[in-house]
Amino acid sequence: MKKTFQATLLSAAAASLLLGSSLASAASTIKIALAGPVSGPVAQYGDMQFTGAQMAIKRINAQGGVNGKMLEGVVYDDACEPRQAVTVANRIVNDNISFVVGHLCSGSTQPASAVYDEEGILMITAASTSPEITQLGYRTIFRTIGLDNMQGPVAGNYIATKVKPKKMAILHDKQQYGEGIARAVNQTVTDKGINVVMFDGINAGDRDFSAIISRMVREDVDFVYYGGYHPELGLLLRQSSEQGLDAQFMGPEGVGNPDITAIAGEASEGLLVTLPPAFEQDPRNADLVKAFRDNKEDPAGPFVMPAYTAVQLMAEGMKGTKSENPEKVAAYLRANSFDTPIGQVQYDDKGDLKAFNFVVFTWHADATRTEAP
Amino acid sequence: MVPTMNESISYFIQQVINGLTVGSTYALIAIGYTMVYGIIGMINFAHGEIYMLGTYITFIVIAGLTLLGIESLPFILIAALIISMMVAGAYGFTIERVAYRPVRSSKRLIALISAIGMSIFLQNYMRLAQGSRDLAQQSIISGSWSLGTDEISVNLAYMQLIIFVITLICMVLLTLFISRSRVGRACRACSQDAGMTNLLGINTNHMIAATFVIGAMLAAVAGVLLGLYYGVVNPMIGFIAGLKAFTAAVLGGIGSIPGAVLGGLILGTAETMTGAYFSAQYKDVVAFSLLCLILLFRPSGLLGKPEVEKI
Repeated sequence: MKKTFQATLLSAAAASLLLGSSLASAASTIKIALAGPVSGPVAQYGDMQFTGAQMAIKRINAQGGVNGKMLEGVVYDDACEPRQAVTVANRIVNDNISFVVGHLCSGSTQPASAVYDEEGILMITAASTSPEITQLGYRTIFRTIGLDNMQGPVAGNYIATKVKPKKMAILHDKQQYGEGIARAVNQTVTDKGINVVMFDGINAGDRDFSAIISRMVREDVDFVYYGGYHPELGLLLRQSSEQGLDAQFMGPEGVGNPDITAIAGEASEGLLVTLPPAFEQDPRNADLVKAFRDNKEDPAGPFVMPAYTAVQLMAEGMKGTKSENPEKVAAYLRANSFDTPIGQVQYDDKGDLKAFNFVVFTWHADATRTEAP
Repeated sequence: MVPTMNESISYFIQQVINGLTVGSTYALIAIGYTMVYGIIGMINFAHGEIYMLGTYITFIVIAGLTLLGIESLPFILIAALIISMMVAGAYGFTIERVAYRPVRSSKRLIALISAIGMSIFLQNYMRLAQGSRDLAQQSIISGSWSLGTDEISVNLAYMQLIIFVITLICMVLLTLFISRSRVGRACRACSQDAGMTNLLGINTNHMIAATFVIGAMLAAVAGVLLGLYYGVVNPMIGFIAGLKAFTAAVLGGIGSIPGAVLGGLILGTAETMTGAYFSAQYKDVVAFSLLCLILLFRPSGLLGKPEVEKI
């Protein structure tokens, strides 16, 4: 008798738990997690992503939301650290959120995406360019940006056809993103017969590059490609100009933000950077750009429009499938093509964009950029 | 093209200069580390953080003075040094009061944990106060000398020389202070037997506080100079700098001030030479292998006195 009573109580408790969770999921908002660095050395890229995503949420809500519900962005800070990214991913799972825009750094997107895939959460990264992320057969992982193996060849071809350096050095920060892209560039330029005299790694966080700069001076290096982020390249540029290394520098989109000028000053003039195209100059986006400017936000950051697009895709997917089931939305994204601020979006089977162009820009000492000749 | 003999020699000398500069930066932080250890036998893990604070203060002072229209270089340098030494001294005093004095009489491990806690606190405190992005300051002392003849020539940046000279001055002054001055003598007495020193009429609490203040001031000097040399700061630089300086201090024999300088120079040169002739990827591997080797054969470091029962 007593036992049955206990069992009844237990199942009642279990039932009320289930009830509770179904009540929660029937709430009137759809939460979208925005995961990226709020703190840490590359927090400014996180800002770009949050700016773009929040703008999309605002505009979609202004038009009545999705399936009668409002979208709500929840920011999670992973500081671009792989370990913290996994913690964030688990927190998102516990918070019952099924849609994630992020993460930002490839190194943290990689481990986090494994968690999302296992839990059937839809993740769209607006910034991670490492090819490995989408190579594990995940079903709910997408991106609104190109890949390193697209960016590397763009940089490599530009170097080989336009710059034609006599002696080239390739450096990287030994991290997934930096080393990956440096290898891609190395592959392209050596295939085209450019003489690469140095391929070496430095430590992220290092501040003294005099040894490697002296070595490049001795080798007569006239062109340096750096795979990594701006804090190290900024110091490299600055110390190179102080120590008399007369070489042209180039870097991936991880270095192309105003902080490189803050660190390197005049030495950042003429730096070559591969970046996503300047979406904010596309006349079709004029309306959106105006909305950003009215909000006193900068639409020119390379990840603003991709992040906007990520949210838009989620909304269109939910509308198209009339559901909030991430797996259905994922299937819908794969099957259709979308008109977005970054152009026509179509996905291949892996969740990568079918086409995405990187463009070579010249960076200027007033922190602006122009398309490179 | 095979490099000629002269080119190889120039290159070698250039890399030695680079290495000695990196080494001086380690040494500058390491002497503060080693002094606190030498006097109270405690590793001050928050030392690297004081160095980081020193750099922030320098940047603020420079920004403030430029805003006031003062652009005289020596004035800026001296003002930055004095202000950051004063502020850092105040921090050193407070840290000792808050984090070390209450646990000084308990087990060493507790004091160590307290120091690590202080270090984490200061990092995050600066992160909240100043943001976690890199702050940059354009170099106010730039330029370099080209030394040597036509065949053998090397480049020596003004800042490199300044760092090198100030490190040596700090080392000499500190050694004199500890061996000759009244306060220095009292500090050494504290390190030998704090209880007895107290009985002889010296306030040991004051002496230990003084040690921390001086240590913090040295870290601030390092913060000013390295801030001007590298021109960037973020709240995390104290950790790696502290780790390298600690390594340098252990390498040279912790507690010995010339040892800290020697250790710093060896560490810096080893790292640079690895980068110069082998690969920059492995410089930390080589530096720490060197540390392991030296500790295997000379457990008390290069210039350290063999001692029992200190940590």
